[in-house]
Amino acid sequence: MELANTLSQDGESRGGVLAHLERLETQVSRSRKKMEEPQSAQAEESALGTRIHELRRLRDKLRAEVKQHQASVKASTTNVEPDQTLEITEQESLKRKWENVKAILQAYRFTGISGKLTSRGVCVCISTAFEGNLLDSYFVDLVMRKPLQIHHHSIPVFIPLEEISAKYLQTNIQHFLFTLCEYLNAYSGRKYQADRLQSDFEAFLAGPLQRNSLCNLLSFTYKAEPEGQSFPFCARLLYKDLTTTLPTDVTVTYQGSIFF
Amino acid sequence: MDSQLVEARALEAEITALRRACVEPPAPGEDTSRVRKSFRETYQADSEGWELSKDLRSHLGHLESEIQFLSTLTGISIRHYSKKTEDLTSTEMTEKSIKKVLQRHRLSGNCHMITFQLEFQLLEIQNEESLSSVITDLSIIMEPTEYSELSEFVSRAEERRDLFMFFRSLHFFVEWCEYRKRTFKRFKEKYPEAVHLSEGASSSCMGIRNPSRPGFELVIVWRIQIDEEGKVLPKLDLLTKVPLQALELDKNGVIETAPLSFRTLLGVLGIEATLESLIKSLHTEASN
Repeated sequence: MELANTLSQDGESRGGVLAHLERLETQVSRSRKKMEEPQSAQAEESALGTRIHELRRLRDKLRAEVKQHQASVKASTTNVEPDQTLEITEQESLKRKWENVKAILQAYRFTGISGKLTSRGVCVCISTAFEGNLLDSYFVDLVMRKPLQIHHHSIPVFIPLEEISAKYLQTNIQHFLFTLCEYLNAYSGRKYQADRLQSDFEAFLAGPLQRNSLCNLLSFTYKAEPEGQSFPFCARLLYKDLTTTLPTDVTVTYQGSIFF
Repeated sequence: MDSQLVEARALEAEITALRRACVEPPAPGEDTSRVRKSFRETYQADSEGWELSKDLRSHLGHLESEIQFLSTLTGISIRHYSKKTEDLTSTEMTEKSIKKVLQRHRLSGNCHMITFQLEFQLLEIQNEESLSSVITDLSIIMEPTEYSELSEFVSRAEERRDLFMFFRSLHFFVEWCEYRKRTFKRFKEKYPEAVHLSEGASSSCMGIRNPSRPGFELVIVWRIQIDEEGKVLPKLDLLTKVPLQALELDKNGVIETAPLSFRTLLGVLGIEATLESLIKSLHTEASN
């Protein structure tokens, strides 16, 4: 296209053509360079590659020599047992120990109870789950003093924390923690079930799911079939035992008449 | 190519250091300070390493005491833990910014006299709104297997993949076992001739007899059961061993109703007081 333009204007055509030819030439030389560059780069790379290969070989050879050397020195200075060699391997074993210890600390959360030391005492984290689904975590910040005190916590207000701590906190802290664990896990499980009922069975529910904050009293109306002519049932679930996720009382009523 | 250059430089440096190490002649044991010096020279680059290891050591000590504290707090000691992570995110998922990761965990330790080994899989799915973590597999190995009540409980926990319930119930079970052991031991010490523990300290039965009245024996069976929900409950029963003659003389059927009366007494007095009253009744009667 450019050629056409440059050729159309006669006065400028020669300069235009020359300029064009120059342009073409630079293009060719540039592309040639580009082709050469990867080649030279490749050549450089392959040279570097062989060098690395050789360096590796030399390094391995030297490593073996140093090992032998060290072994012979060690053999001749056994009574001395230099601290330095111990310190090197000690550092490695320290690092390994440190990583292992860190991992174990993290693993404690899988027991349901884990904690971190604080300046006052310990901040205990209680994890909850239901049927393998990991749910919310709660924390209790304890002050290590006589008597033991709860500095602050994230336990919901409807969990009987005062009752449980009055019974066990001072005498048996393990029992206190695991009992709290029981209540929290049960609450978490009931809440999870109620949430799933609302979301997964929306089509079956004929109205909103009514529940209290503890999720131990649920009331809802449902149909046996999502569409169609089935009549609605009213269900009321009561969970008297706050440490369980199964209801203790279930009432299902039907309002209407049955035609036989 | 840059990475290759870096590697080449690193190799060169290493070779120089190794050459230095080789050059030192082996000292036949007389000049130990020279040997020390040569080692120090060889590992000169690690001079910062000394500082690091000192910090590491104190930090390690702090972490170890934290583990010790947690172990005392929960009653559970974890000895080993390892984890493997597998990324299951497909290209489709990455497009929708969903991340799927499978973690394989291995945990072992003990809770008092019971050692456990767990392996479980955790599937984590992260999308824009939330992160869901689900335990997709759980396998538990426990020793000692002499507590037969535990094997059923373990398979239930595995089925439900309820890791937390496992630890919770394990704790309460162990607590009850220890309480039973302490109680039996206390009675054995207080009434050495009357009380008989057939299987030793951790037995689940306590026999009460009177040496001057052989043939009569009350056996208290104290089992610790774990129910479907993981609740740990003690279950006590009374068995009577009475000679035939005594049975014939028992017009009021006291012996027949003994197990039931025992349960009622438990509800009124609690475990320790009930056991003590039984021991006393058999004991004092004889001494009269």
